[in-house]
Amino acid sequence: MLQLVFVLLLLALGGCVTVRPEQRAVLADPTMQFDNDPGDGAARDHVLENREGSTGGSSVKGGGCGCN
Amino acid sequence: MQLRLLLATLAAACTLGLPFSAAAQVADLAPRTTFFVEPSKSSKLLVINPSAELSVTPTDWLEVHTGYEADIVSGATESLKGGRLSPVDIVSSATHFKDTRHQVSGGVGVTRDNTKLSATYTYGTEADYHSNAFSVQSGTTFLQKNTELTLAYGRGFDRVCTTAFADSDGASVKTPLDSSKGCFTKAADRASRKVDLDNFQAGWTQTWTPVFASQLVLYGGLQHGFLENPYRAVVIAPAGDEALENHPDNRLRMAVAARAKYYLRPLRMAVSAGARLYRDTWDIFGQTYELEAERYVWPELRVMVHGRYYTQTEALFWSDDYTGGEPQDGPRGQYWTGDRELSPLSSYLLGGRFIFKKNAEPTKRIAHVMLSFETSLSFDLMKTSLKEFTWGGSKPDDTLALIGSLGVRGTF
Repeated sequence: MLQLVFVLLLLALGGCVTVRPEQRAVLADPTMQFDNDPGDGAARDHVLENREGSTGGSSVKGGGCGCN
Repeated sequence: MQLRLLLATLAAACTLGLPFSAAAQVADLAPRTTFFVEPSKSSKLLVINPSAELSVTPTDWLEVHTGYEADIVSGATESLKGGRLSPVDIVSSATHFKDTRHQVSGGVGVTRDNTKLSATYTYGTEADYHSNAFSVQSGTTFLQKNTELTLAYGRGFDRVCTTAFADSDGASVKTPLDSSKGCFTKAADRASRKVDLDNFQAGWTQTWTPVFASQLVLYGGLQHGFLENPYRAVVIAPAGDEALENHPDNRLRMAVAARAKYYLRPLRMAVSAGARLYRDTWDIFGQTYELEAERYVWPELRVMVHGRYYTQTEALFWSDDYTGGEPQDGPRGQYWTGDRELSPLSSYLLGGRFIFKKNAEPTKRIAHVMLSFETSLSFDLMKTSLKEFTWGGSKPDDTLALIGSLGVRGTF
């Protein structure tokens, strides 16, 4: 329950943040994208999963978009 | 134009098996080759992984994708695991092997306003393993695209080849495979066993300022079925008696990862830091910490360097040697493993990547056909420290690994 409240609080906090479309030049750049070369990242994850006991939590696409 | 249309039609026909009449707007083709090598005297391993992905966007709201990859594996493997007390010469018994895994996938994605849904089916086959999997993913952005949420679920229906032991046989009398010969046939000495896989992932990406973004990823996975290596035996008695690896049939795996990116304007560089915590019901606790920096050296060329540290505890039933008289009803009496990935270990990874990307000028195309062209070259060096694992008391010498990857991407 506490975790849910924490997540909702963070989401609400996110709602207070407004980065306007015209401010997104840097965020839209590939260097600021998470998982900005998915083929390379997937290949490395494939190797690591076979050499470690852990898995999951890899980066997902996202990180800002200048597409408004 | 003709090439774009051909690629679009080919992808749609291959993926859906249906004719598709709409003209493609964009086709994206991305071949890549990755290699992984462990340069070791006793058990050198080489994996070459060629792959290709093709996606086509025939309309604004529909994307069709298909892919192929292979794992070409060769090297030597120790098929018998013993520890410091084991009276067997394990390293010199390493056997050479070569195997190839083929995997094909196909799927569709639908985009509507700020929401995307996609579904993918994947089929993989190799001499001793067959896999069927589907996955669905959804993502949406809101709050003026400052917030992005993604949800994904994947289900795998796999089968692994083993010797033809009965489920009722005692674990200590089960024998390992000596080769993949006869697998997935009616051979009397072979059987196939199920491995069911469920994976959930949720991601939250948030932009906080014009130069700062963060991401939180939650993962949960459930494995059920035959989770052992069917080739590996373990010495389980002082006299040298050996038996097929014996793992629990269920494994629940969970991870939470957080990462952040910040743009350093004075250096014109994006820096990133991330951490992942992992836990599973086999009692492995893993921690991963990553740092990354990326910047442009030319308008078309950017360079990334990164470092990664990983550490994990051992599985509850892990032991380097099972001949020391563990209680039969204890975790090391019921289960035994020769898997080094279940032992306590840590690793360092250092590497970098170059990406060159060229966009066509308006009204022109690169090489007459491409809207953009991108190539990436990466190289990583990984050193693993095995804290307890030995081959019959000898420290493994295959703990240094090189990973390289070369990929290109053309948008037509």
